[in-house]
Amino acid sequence: MATIAYPAKGTLSRKAIFTAKNLSRFLSYFVLTLGLSFTLLPFIMMILSSFKTNLENLRVPPTFWPENFTLENYRAIFNDPKLPLLKFYFNSSFVSFYTVISTLFTSSLVGYMFAKFEFTGKRLLFGWFLTMMMIPMQITMIPSYLILSKLHLINSLWGLVIFSMVDAFGIFMMRQFCETLPNELLDAGRIDGASEWQIYWRIVLPQLSAPLATLGILGFMGTWNAYLWPMIVLQKIDVRTLPIILTWFNSTHTGQGALVMAATVLIIMPILIVFIFFQRWIVQGFTMTGLKG
Amino acid sequence: MNLTIGKRKSKGGLVIAKRHFVTSVTLPLLLYESLGLFVLGWAVVLMFFDYSPGRLGGPILGLGGSNPFVGLGHFIQMIKGTSVEANLFRISLRNTLIFAVAVLPLNLAITLPLAWLLESIGTRFKALYRTIYFLPVLTSSVGVALIWLSMYDPQAGWINAIIRAVGGSPVAWLSDPRAGFANVSVAMWAVILAYLWQDYGYNMVIFIAALQGIPQELKEAALIDGANPWQAFRKISLPLIRPTMLFVCVMTMLSSFQIFDIIQVMTNGDPNNQTQVLMLDIYKSAFRYQNMGWAAAESFVLFLIVMGVTILQMRLLRTEWEY
Repeated sequence: MATIAYPAKGTLSRKAIFTAKNLSRFLSYFVLTLGLSFTLLPFIMMILSSFKTNLENLRVPPTFWPENFTLENYRAIFNDPKLPLLKFYFNSSFVSFYTVISTLFTSSLVGYMFAKFEFTGKRLLFGWFLTMMMIPMQITMIPSYLILSKLHLINSLWGLVIFSMVDAFGIFMMRQFCETLPNELLDAGRIDGASEWQIYWRIVLPQLSAPLATLGILGFMGTWNAYLWPMIVLQKIDVRTLPIILTWFNSTHTGQGALVMAATVLIIMPILIVFIFFQRWIVQGFTMTGLKG
Repeated sequence: MNLTIGKRKSKGGLVIAKRHFVTSVTLPLLLYESLGLFVLGWAVVLMFFDYSPGRLGGPILGLGGSNPFVGLGHFIQMIKGTSVEANLFRISLRNTLIFAVAVLPLNLAITLPLAWLLESIGTRFKALYRTIYFLPVLTSSVGVALIWLSMYDPQAGWINAIIRAVGGSPVAWLSDPRAGFANVSVAMWAVILAYLWQDYGYNMVIFIAALQGIPQELKEAALIDGANPWQAFRKISLPLIRPTMLFVCVMTMLSSFQIFDIIQVMTNGDPNNQTQVLMLDIYKSAFRYQNMGWAAAESFVLFLIVMGVTILQMRLLRTEWEY
């Protein structure tokens, strides 16, 4: 092995390097592909099962390819009057849209303020803010629910949005980006007579578009997939979001595995398609959140 | 002074304009944060009451009266109580610890080598591999749970099909309370596997980014000096990504202590409460049995554990930074 480190030692060892390198390369690919198959196989099973009949899906041993390729499961879901799928897509989109818009607004505004303004009690406020946001959801879940029920906001999609309008991580991120904005830029706006709100809206926001996009996509993914809190707040069927409707569908269609898999495909695919289109931003966003820590 | 604002922006006018801006941002924020403080205060008070929203209770937040003050009663129950809830709490606590302690090393054992391999291969396939490894992270946990539920099906599931194919006897993964491995029930192992599958892409991506951040010259220098790739990894890369290790360990621990979605859908705590974890127990106590005072006390315990583990990990991993 030691000879590998010294490339200029004649043709023979160069050949040895070549094969050793190839071997390790081959092994790397082998292990990575093994992991890849393990990652992909459950998805493939899901998609293939969704094209089987429910009867075929119960067969022992299971078939890999659907014997009688059928779209019946998808047809059944779209024609099920108890499952207005469009309504649930709307609910999920509604919650995600308003949550993301409001967190983008509050994160950029508050982040900008903490980065560029001096005022008495700033550090105190920031510290309070920081501690409040460290309190995990399971502590605040019960009183938040009680408040929503006092306000008659149970079963209201707005009830979901209210408690996630301010996002600590978003504010930290925006504060960091705002600190890099040159003060001259803001002062130029002031000299030209812009009001402070105009400066925020016309000068600061456009500068933040890249981090806002990242934050928005991450927030969207998180809200779209959220499960516990929506399950607590949304108790009536027709206001539920997609993940909750999926568990409900599963529990009301036991023994119809193929049908449930078709519903799962319909519910998880949109987000995966979004991911494939925006994947560079999304991966960057996730690593950004990771490397900050 | 005020009169000059409109005419010419004096320094005073600018200061006032800025102060206006700050006030109009801070005031709503303060209000919102006060609501947060109120919620937190309510959560703290709830732990000391036997509170159920179904009862009328006293005049302030329904506390007192038929929702009596019990002091530290809930916590005493948790430690030495014999009631059903107290037993269930202790079982949940144990299961949560098992889950978290199993997940962290398994996750690192998968993600670190794979990230290293992926980082070392050429760029051609790197993006594709990374994309696919990341897909489960973005899949809704309900979807993940349902996919694995069908894979674990005792009759028609793929896992038992593979076991039968190699001559083993099939296992009722999610419903057999007697089957186990290393003193942990198979149902627990089954949810651990499903959780790992959903989660490893995240840590991989973080590790890849950290490994990419290491200057190429350092690794090359080590290789020229005669180190093999494994030594270069152990002595150069690993120490340099220690901050990332800390982050990954803390985040993985945090999320596995708060595991809920996958278990709720896959087993809902069965069989025989073998997969009953704390979040699930809190959820059931609060929203199924309306026993919210007890649930608030339980969530406080979970919070303490999570805080404690985070601080401990930071201490442990930080001391080794100074090399």
